[in-house]
Amino acid sequence: MLLDDTSRLTEHRLTRAEARDWRLVAAAFGALLLLVSYALPLFGQRISSATTEFSGGTVIEREYPVLVHEQHFAQTKRPIGEQLVSVEITTEQVSLAESTGYGWMAQIVQDSEGALRHLSMLLMMGLPLVSAVIAIALVGQSWRGPSGVPEALIPISIQLAALSVPGLFLAWFHQFDFSFLLLEQSAGALMPGVGFWLAMAASVTTAVSLFSLRNETRREIVNWWALVLAVVLVIWLLVRFRPFPYLEIWRFINDGILVTLRIVSTSFGLMLLVSLLGGLGRISSNRVINFVASLYVELVRGIPLLVQLLFIWFALPQVFNVIGAALLSVPLLEGAGQWLIDLRLDPFTAAVLGLTVCYGAYGAEIFRAGISSIHKGQMEAARSVGMSYVQAMRFVILPQAARVILPPVGNEFVALLKDSSLVSVLAVSDLTRRGREYMSRTFLSFDTWIMVALCYLVLTLFSSRMVELIESKTRFER
Amino acid sequence: MEPQTQASRSSDPIIQVRNLRKTYYHGKLVALDNVSLDIPQKQVAVIIGPSGSGKSTLLRCLNYLETPDSGDVIVDGISLSTTEQLAKVRAEIGMVFQQFNLFPHLTVLDNIMVAQRIVRKRNRDDAERTAKELLAKVGIADKGNSHPGQLSGGQQQRVAIARALAMQPKIMLFDEPTSALDPEMIKEVLDVMLQLAQDGMTMVVVSHEMGFARNAADRVIFMDEGAIIEDTTPKELFDAPKHDRTREFLGKILH
Repeated sequence: MLLDDTSRLTEHRLTRAEARDWRLVAAAFGALLLLVSYALPLFGQRISSATTEFSGGTVIEREYPVLVHEQHFAQTKRPIGEQLVSVEITTEQVSLAESTGYGWMAQIVQDSEGALRHLSMLLMMGLPLVSAVIAIALVGQSWRGPSGVPEALIPISIQLAALSVPGLFLAWFHQFDFSFLLLEQSAGALMPGVGFWLAMAASVTTAVSLFSLRNETRREIVNWWALVLAVVLVIWLLVRFRPFPYLEIWRFINDGILVTLRIVSTSFGLMLLVSLLGGLGRISSNRVINFVASLYVELVRGIPLLVQLLFIWFALPQVFNVIGAALLSVPLLEGAGQWLIDLRLDPFTAAVLGLTVCYGAYGAEIFRAGISSIHKGQMEAARSVGMSYVQAMRFVILPQAARVILPPVGNEFVALLKDSSLVSVLAVSDLTRRGREYMSRTFLSFDTWIMVALCYLVLTLFSSRMVELIESKTRFER
Repeated sequence: MEPQTQASRSSDPIIQVRNLRKTYYHGKLVALDNVSLDIPQKQVAVIIGPSGSGKSTLLRCLNYLETPDSGDVIVDGISLSTTEQLAKVRAEIGMVFQQFNLFPHLTVLDNIMVAQRIVRKRNRDDAERTAKELLAKVGIADKGNSHPGQLSGGQQQRVAIARALAMQPKIMLFDEPTSALDPEMIKEVLDVMLQLAQDGMTMVVVSHEMGFARNAADRVIFMDEGAIIEDTTPKELFDAPKHDRTREFLGKILH
């Protein structure tokens, strides 16, 4: 039986006592203010053009708004080592149609080229609106009595309202369409209007009052998927607002992400196979199979992964050579000997081999424990209705063991993802190696490794959430 | 050596146990000591005895869930100690366990269908029809889509009986089928077993239910310390036990 939480979530509605609460009043007030702020001008002015001068004599002149890729081009033209000398900006009044309703609708109509830019802007500016609507629906229902708005929406409204605060700031930065460098010079001239501060205050009020309200209902507020999105947002912000060097780093290392993912998915698939065979071997009553499987597990788990990878990459070809040379003198096996001598492992194969062998050993123990945890009566019942050992494993034991095995195997996947950075020593152009290459070229150590770390973080956090999701979908009542 | 041809051949006992010996802990504990036994077709035999007397071990040897140290079991003309097709023979012998041992990850219907599908190679519709008929027969037709964990013990045990019957076995083995049940659920399981006995199923039952032994059994076997002490009709065994140990045991459990 799959656990179905949704029906339980919708059951509890706000009671009448809760409805007279000051926190509800505050939430309603905040939500209304938010709606009002949509009718007010958010920004008064924006940049129309800027002239930037650098110490080496370089001068960059531009009209605004500019598209992201043009901006990057202009930024990277700045000679390294030159300092910013001065920025001169000219501003213009934002029309009322553009600045009210958070201005996005007018802009989307005006500028279809920057569709992606405006989509992200729309999302950021839409957050307060959606939050306000949900908050008003919730408050309205509790005052009029239950009308079908589930209480589960409370945490959503809180998260949206809280996200609105940085979202509004982002929307403000969009007006500049430039880096923080220019922002520092021009912030004084481009202060946001009263609508901006009103929306900010209203978002905070709604978020805080709803948050204090839900403390009583004890609903889980933290949705850890939000953390994945937050890290993605940080990467996006860095690339968007500090294109030099982050956009450049991103362009340099993003093929490394694909290599990392290819290595990890291949070795994870193979590792599952090795783990299954190893696990079955460890519980086998056949002494030879059992001994071989146990020896494999004990030996491999005792050697560091890095050492295993170095051995496979540097020493294994020599081993093949020696064995091949020995086979050459054996009649009938010359072909096999020559094949071994000619055998060349490419970096990718070596990396996958190393990760599979190492993680297969850990996986074998997980599979062994998972299979042993299934009551032996299950195997007896399956055999008593005429199933063979393989059929009983396939249809009865493994489906049950899979649910036990899934959480630790999910952890192994995340660990594998992180340890895959070690294969960068084998001339595999994975994420870590690409980062190292970029750093040795530019000596931008801080920016490079921050970017690499964030990329790994997105991958690992996303994997962990997926494991949780699969886990919750495969639970059943015992 | 097809089981079908063997069955129709003669009125030979369908189960023949020959000099069965089984020890545990490298021979330190003797569970079965040279046991021989014949069970003819359609007979209902109940095995009773104190715990540790080897009655469950004997039952589990009848389909080779336990492999005996020596001796042989011949089911329907096939010697289990030498046959290459143990799984095929087991499919002809239904077994019901004390702890039910239903498959918790499958629905009740799937529990009954899975072996039909993969062992008997029946198609889905046939398997489902059989499963539903059997569920109706054991009185829980409405529970097909539940999972075992949602059923009471008595209902689970009836599903377990239906699962065994779905293979259309020639023999049914019951290993203390009511020992793990709450008292109010024992009757619903015994009723199903009683019905099965009246339908002419060959049954070997290890049980402490003396009422069932008295009413449904053709034969009661009393075991102690790995050996058959007394083997007779229920009337004689309960009313006039010949052996001291039988009398002592009955005195303890009948009050």
